[in-house]
Amino acid sequence: MATSTPTRDAYATPPREPQKQPPSERRQLWRSRLWRFDDKASPYAYIAPFFLVFGAFGLYPLLYTGWIALHRVEMTGLDSMEWVGWENFDKILHDPEFWTSVSNTFLIGVISTVPQLLVALGLAHLLNYRLRASTFWRTVILTPYATSVASAALVFALVFRADGGLLNWALGLVGFDDTNWANGHWTSKIAISVIVIWRWTGYNALIYLAAMQAVPNDLYEAASLDGASRWQQFRKVTIPSLRPTILFTIVISTIGSMQLFGEPLLLEGGALGATGGNENQYETLSIYLYNYGWNLGHLGPAAAVAWAMLALLLIIAAANWFIGRFVRKSAV
Amino acid sequence: MRITRSVAGRRLRAPLVATTGLTVTALLLTGCGGSSDSGKGADADGNITLTVADFGQFGYKEAGLFEKYHELNPKITVKEDTTAEEKNYYPKLLQQLNSGSGLADVQGIEVGRIKEIVDTKADSFADLSKSIGVDEWVSWKAKQATAPSGAVIGAGTDIGPMSLCYNRELFEKAGLPTDRTEVAKLTEGGWEDFLALGEQYKKKAPAGTYFMDSASAMFNAVVSSSPEQYYDASGKPIHEKSASVEKGWKLAAEAASKKLTQGLAQFEDQWQAALRKSTVATVVCPAWMAGQISTYAGDANKGKWDITSAPGNTSANWGGSFLAVPKSGKNVAEATKLVKWLTAPEQQAAVFKAIGVFPSNQGAYELPDVKNATLPYFNNAPIGQIYADGAKSIPEAVLGPKDGVIKDSISTQINNMEQRGTSPDKAWDAALRTIEKAIG
Amino acid sequence: MTMTSPTPTAPVKLAPASKSSAPQRPSRFRIGAGQQMKGGPFAYVALAVVGFGSLLPLYWTLVAASRTQDEVLASTPPFLPGGKLIENIQTAWEQANLGKAILNSVIVSSSITLATLFFCTLAGYAFAKMRFRGRGWLMTAVIATLTIPPQLSVVPLFMMMSGLGWGGQLESVIFPTLVSAFGVFFMRQYLIEALPYELIEAAKIDGANNLRIVVSVVLPVARPAMMVLGMLTFVQAWNDFFWPYLALNQQNPTLQVALGQLSASYTPDQSIVMAGALISTLPLLVVFVVFGKKIVGGIMSGAVKG
Repeated sequence: MATSTPTRDAYATPPREPQKQPPSERRQLWRSRLWRFDDKASPYAYIAPFFLVFGAFGLYPLLYTGWIALHRVEMTGLDSMEWVGWENFDKILHDPEFWTSVSNTFLIGVISTVPQLLVALGLAHLLNYRLRASTFWRTVILTPYATSVASAALVFALVFRADGGLLNWALGLVGFDDTNWANGHWTSKIAISVIVIWRWTGYNALIYLAAMQAVPNDLYEAASLDGASRWQQFRKVTIPSLRPTILFTIVISTIGSMQLFGEPLLLEGGALGATGGNENQYETLSIYLYNYGWNLGHLGPAAAVAWAMLALLLIIAAANWFIGRFVRKSAV
Repeated sequence: MRITRSVAGRRLRAPLVATTGLTVTALLLTGCGGSSDSGKGADADGNITLTVADFGQFGYKEAGLFEKYHELNPKITVKEDTTAEEKNYYPKLLQQLNSGSGLADVQGIEVGRIKEIVDTKADSFADLSKSIGVDEWVSWKAKQATAPSGAVIGAGTDIGPMSLCYNRELFEKAGLPTDRTEVAKLTEGGWEDFLALGEQYKKKAPAGTYFMDSASAMFNAVVSSSPEQYYDASGKPIHEKSASVEKGWKLAAEAASKKLTQGLAQFEDQWQAALRKSTVATVVCPAWMAGQISTYAGDANKGKWDITSAPGNTSANWGGSFLAVPKSGKNVAEATKLVKWLTAPEQQAAVFKAIGVFPSNQGAYELPDVKNATLPYFNNAPIGQIYADGAKSIPEAVLGPKDGVIKDSISTQINNMEQRGTSPDKAWDAALRTIEKAIG
Repeated sequence: MTMTSPTPTAPVKLAPASKSSAPQRPSRFRIGAGQQMKGGPFAYVALAVVGFGSLLPLYWTLVAASRTQDEVLASTPPFLPGGKLIENIQTAWEQANLGKAILNSVIVSSSITLATLFFCTLAGYAFAKMRFRGRGWLMTAVIATLTIPPQLSVVPLFMMMSGLGWGGQLESVIFPTLVSAFGVFFMRQYLIEALPYELIEAAKIDGANNLRIVVSVVLPVARPAMMVLGMLTFVQAWNDFFWPYLALNQQNPTLQVALGQLSASYTPDQSIVMAGALISTLPLLVVFVVFGKKIVGGIMSGAVKG
C-alpha cells in the first residue's frame, strides 16, 4: 500500500524515500498521479514549442516545396496550382544557367572556404599564445561577424568597383591597370569569396582556438619529451586533435556557401545582381532560385531548385560521412 | 487538495500561458510596427500622407508637383518612393500585389508590364475609367491599360517618342558637326547612317570615349518603331521571327563588332558613371531618357549635351508608364484624385518642361509649355518641336505580358556582345534561353 | 562559414570535451598547446595585420559615409572622414525609410531573441536533465535541423505567409525564427554541466513541481548562457537578410532590407548607401565593444562543449 509514494522518475536519479507521511491515502494516490503526469508530460511540453515551430515553418514547407515543384505556380496568381509533373525539374536540369550556378556555388565555396579555414587555423594558433590584451585581439578579429551581409557586401562593392574602387587604386599604385572585378569570371568569384572570408575568418579562428585549448597538455608534454619541435607538435598533436572540429567547420562552410545570397546580389546590385552578372558569372544557387521565383515569377521551378539543393546537400553529407570514416580509419 | 489543484492547474497552464504570452507580445509589437504602415488613413486632423511608388524618373519631384499639390490640398502630403531600375521595381510590385500589403497608394507601372498586370491583376486596382478623362489620352495608351472588363486601371503618365541625345563637346573634339540640324541630316537615312557616323567618330574619338553607351538602346529604338514587336495579335510570342527584332539585333551586333559602344548596361552604376565622366558621345533618347542623362551627368556637364531627331526620323515609342491605384489602399479616393491631377495636361506639361518626360495626355500638346518647350540642360534643345511630330505618328504596338523581360534579356546579351565579344549566334541562343525561361 | 540562415548555427561537435565544469569563457590557466608560450613580436605583427584587415572595411564605410560620392570615387581616395556624415545620414533616412526600418529591426530582433531564449532554455533543460521516451532521437532531430538551409523552404513559406495575410508583415519574418536548433543545443550543453542534480533534488524535496523548478532553479543557473545565447541570436536576427529580403518590402522593411533596397533606389550616390550601411552596423558594433569579452567567450564555449 505504501507504494503510492510520489516518485519523480523523470529525473535520472534514484528514487527518494518518502519525506513526509501522507495525510491520507486517497489524497496521496491522487497526488501521486499528478506528480507522475507532471513528470511524464513536462519534458514534452518543454520541447514542444521547438518542434511545433519547426514543424510549421521548417518541415512542412520543406515537404510542401516538393509538392509545389510538381506544379505550375505563378507569382501573378499564387492561388492557382496546376499539375505539371516533372516538367519543372526537366526545365532546370536542362538549363545551362542552373549548372553554371551549381559550379559557381561549388567554386566560390572552395575559394572562400579553404583560405578562410587555413587563415583561421593560423590565427587560432597565434591567439593561443599568451598575449597582452588577448580579449582585445579576439574582439577585433570578430568584428566582421557583427557586420551584416548587406553592409559587408555594399562596402566591398565599393572596394571592388571598377572605377574609383579602393582596390583598383591600391593596385594602381603598384602598376596594375584597372580591373572590372565583377565582370570577370574568376575575379567576381574572388571578390565574393573575399567578402565571405572577411566575415567568417575571425569566427572560425575562435572556434579553433577553443578546440586547441581543450587539447590535453600531456600530449604536448609527451611530444616534447620525444624531442618534437614546435612545428612538429603543431602538426602531430594540434592538427590531429582538431580534426573533428576542422571537418565540422568544412561541412558548415559548405552548407553556408550553398546559402550565398546577399554577397552576389549586392556586389553589382540592381538587375545584374539578381542574375549573378550579365553572363551569370557569379550566380549562386540561391540567386538562381531567387531569380526564377521572385524575379521571373515562376515559383514551380524555384521549388524544384530548392529540392535540387536538398539533393546536393545530401550528396555532400554522404561525402562527408565517407571522408569522416576514412579520416578516422587512417587516424587509427 | 488545494496544493494539488494549484500544482496541476499551473503546470498545465504555464507553458501555454507563457507561449501565448510571448506570441501575443510578438503580435502586439508587430502590430505596432505594422499599423503605422497599413494605417495610413487620415490622422485626427484629417491629414493624409499619400505614397507614390515609382521607378526611374517620373519627374514629379523635379517639377515640384508634390509640393504644389500640398499647397493646393494642405491636408495631403505626398511621399515618393523611387526604385532606380524598373527591373527591380516590378518583381516587388507583384509580390506586394499578392500579399496585398506594402503597396503604396499610387503605383507606377511600365508599359512593358502593363499587359501582364491587366491580364492577371486587374482586380487589384481601382477602375479609373469614371474618374479620369480616358479620351484625353493618346488612343493606344488608354487601350493598353484597359482590362477586358472595360476597367481602366492606369492613367498614362508619359510616352517615349524617340530622339537622339549627343554630347556636343565630344562631337566637336572628334571633328563632327555639333549643330542639331546638321547632326540630324547626317543620320537622315536611318540607323545605318547612324553607325557610319559612329565609325567617323571613332576615327578621331577622344581617348577613352565611345560613340554609344550601349547598342541595346538602338535595338530598343528599332523594335519600338514597329507595330510588331515581341508578340503577335493573338498573344503568341514571336520574338524569334519578328522582323523588327531581327533588324535591331543585326544593327546591335554590327555596332558591337565595330566597337562603337562602351557596352554599358543602361541605368546601372557604370552607365551612370559614364555619363558623369562624359565617356559616351550619344545616347539613343526616348523623351524620358533626357531626364536620366541630366540627373546622372550632373550639373558639371550642363550645356554639353544636345538633342536632335532620331536617326531616320524614327517615330517610335519606347517606354512610358502608367499610374495605378491599388484597391487595398486606405485612401483610394484621395489617391485617385492625385492621379487625375498628376496626369492632367497642365501637370504633364510641367514635367515635360522640367525634365523632358513627354506627355501622354493629348490635351497637353497644345499648351505653350509643351509646344515651345526647350531644355536648358541640353543647350536649350527645342524638345517640344522635336517630339511633337514624332509623337503623332507613333504606331500602335501589340503588347505582350512579358515584353519587359524579353527586352531586358536581349539587352543583356547585347551587352555581352559588346563587352565580352560574345559571338552574335551564341548571344542570341543565350537570349532565347532566358526568354523561354521568363515566359515560362 | 557563411550563414545567412535565420537560426544561429555554430559548430556543434567537437573537440574532446573539456573537463572544466562551467562552460564560461575558457580559463586563462587551462593549459593547451603553447598556452604557456609567450607570443613573440611576430605574433603581434601578424595579429595587427589581420586586425587591420578586419577593421579597414568598417573604417572605409565611415570615410565613405562622411564624404560626397565624388570624393570617394576620386582617383586618389580620401583617407580621413569628412564632414558630410549627418547630411548623408539624413538623405539615407528619407530615401530608405530608415526610421521605420530601425524600429522594425528592433521589434523583430527582440521578439526573436526573447522567444528563442524562452523556448530554447526550456527545451535545452528538458534534453539536459529530464528523462523521457525518445529523448535521444529527438535531440538528433534537433541537431539535424541545423543543416537545413532556409532556401529549401522559402517558396512555400512565401505562399503560406500570403495566405495567412502576413505577406509583407513583420510576422512573416518573426514566426519562422521563433526557435533555433542551435539555441536548444547550446542551452543543453550548458545545463548538462552547470546544473547539478542536487539542486533539482532539493527543489523537489521542497515539493516544487516541474514548472517551479524551471522558474526558481533552472533559470537562475542558466542565466549566463542565456545572456550569451541572447546576444548571438540578436546579432543573427538583426543581420538576417535572405528571407526578410524576400518577404518584406520597402514600405515596411527591416534595416537590412532597407539597405538592400537603398542600394537599388534612385540614388547615384554611394556615400548615401554607405551612410545607410553605417547606421545598420553601428548598433551591433557598440554591443561588440561593450560585450566583446562575453560574446567571444560565448562563441568559444559553444564550440568546445559537446
